Amino acid sequence: MNWLFHLGRYTLLMLRSLRRPDKHRVFFGRVLTEINNLGVNSLPIVLIISVFVGAVVSLQAAFNMDSPWIPEYAVGLTTRQSIILEFSPTIISVILAGKVGSSIASEIGSMRISEQIEALEIMGINPASHLITPKMIAAVIINPFLITISMVVAIFGGWLGALASDVITGDAYIIGIKSYFKLYDVFYALFKTAIFAFIITSVASYQGFYVKGGAIEVGRCSTQAVVNTSILIIFANLILTQIMLT
Amino acid sequence: MIQAKELYKSFDDLHVLKGISAVFEKGKNNLIIGKSGSGKTVFMKCLLGLIELDSGSILYDDRNFSRMDFQEKKRLRQEIGMLFQGGALFDSLTVEKNIMFPLTMFTRWSYQEKRKRVDYCLDRVNMAGSNELMPAELSGGMNKRVAIARAIVMEPGYLFCDEPNSGLDPKTGVLIDNLINEITKDLGMTTIINTHDMNSVLAIGDQVIFLNQGEVAWKGAKEEILDTTDPVINEFVYATEMAKRLKGK
Repeated sequence: MNWLFHLGRYTLLMLRSLRRPDKHRVFFGRVLTEINNLGVNSLPIVLIISVFVGAVVSLQAAFNMDSPWIPEYAVGLTTRQSIILEFSPTIISVILAGKVGSSIASEIGSMRISEQIEALEIMGINPASHLITPKMIAAVIINPFLITISMVVAIFGGWLGALASDVITGDAYIIGIKSYFKLYDVFYALFKTAIFAFIITSVASYQGFYVKGGAIEVGRCSTQAVVNTSILIIFANLILTQIMLT
Repeated sequence: MIQAKELYKSFDDLHVLKGISAVFEKGKNNLIIGKSGSGKTVFMKCLLGLIELDSGSILYDDRNFSRMDFQEKKRLRQEIGMLFQGGALFDSLTVEKNIMFPLTMFTRWSYQEKRKRVDYCLDRVNMAGSNELMPAELSGGMNKRVAIARAIVMEPGYLFCDEPNSGLDPKTGVLIDNLINEITKDLGMTTIINTHDMNSVLAIGDQVIFLNQGEVAWKGAKEEILDTTDPVINEFVYATEMAKRLKGK
């Protein structure tokens, strides 16, 4: 029944975080700061991983489809679909769960053990809406942009991989990525991303908010935040795919 | 004035507060002392509303804190200043922004007005000119002084201090005690100090409450505590080697 306790406490924390901010100007300032911290600062890792994974996906597709029965453009089509439907929204979100989730959990956890959260409470400030809500809003806004950039860069990486493979031509790859394109797939991917962004920030904040003890516990809660968010993302991915693609 | 009436608090089978009643007077340093595990911190957290009571009531100048709703508690808390054991300054903000923070959240003052108030508070705690320092650059004593400046920036009616001298050398500890005493008298605040430090008790303890196993075991003025014959209190008061030697003389 331990999970039920955590679910109840998580729900109560989310309800607290939905209360009206104490001061709107400060709140929006914090949202902008978090957009920079959580989004802009994650851009380099997203770019590097996307370009290399895009290249690898296209190379794998090219070598496995090296048959006269399969049209050359299928490599581009397969790469695009893999990237838009799964790699960018899900795998990049799991990577962000590692980077952003651990940083959020350790930041809020350190504030808890050094009594900064109590200090906010005693000042009459709701720590949940002051600390957690700006992170959730920022991630839900900025992550879809990050994932869109990841899609573009990964597809470009796929083109580089296709050229390197010598199995297909660059033109055939480009024909592939334009074939049978459905805008709904992008909408589905970005919708998933927003849900994953909420999971990453809210679960990591929850882990940090209720930490007890010292530095070891903060480290432990940070690891736990990454594990929990990764599992929840994979689980949510299954449910969302079932609902939105069938 | 703050009144605590018959406060009870348990954690599972552990009874931490067993019917504590106390009156903390305005313009005085009210010290809560006792051994580790005697319930001091839980008592203070209950007074602040950070821990929910099992039963009992807390009155802030006749306003029943225990019966207040969320918004009422929030308003009352703006009248409370708190000095935490570790200072609890916000790591990511400069000294100036730390002190300015409550003003930014609860007033519509211009930056110049807020800056003026911050400078006054820093001057009050002998930290003038340290506006741009980060908390990581401060020593333990400086950290406490900045935390006091932040606690008094809203001109609170009530000041709570949790172990204000812990981790400080004796000389700095005396400075912090004197600072709290001065501010309490000047601003006419109701100050409650949680401490282990007998030096603080003898220096600034206008009213002293000794907690033992979740109960008020003794209360009185600082002068009276040295003369008490209660063995439990004597064990606490004369626990250090220096106190034992002075008693011997």
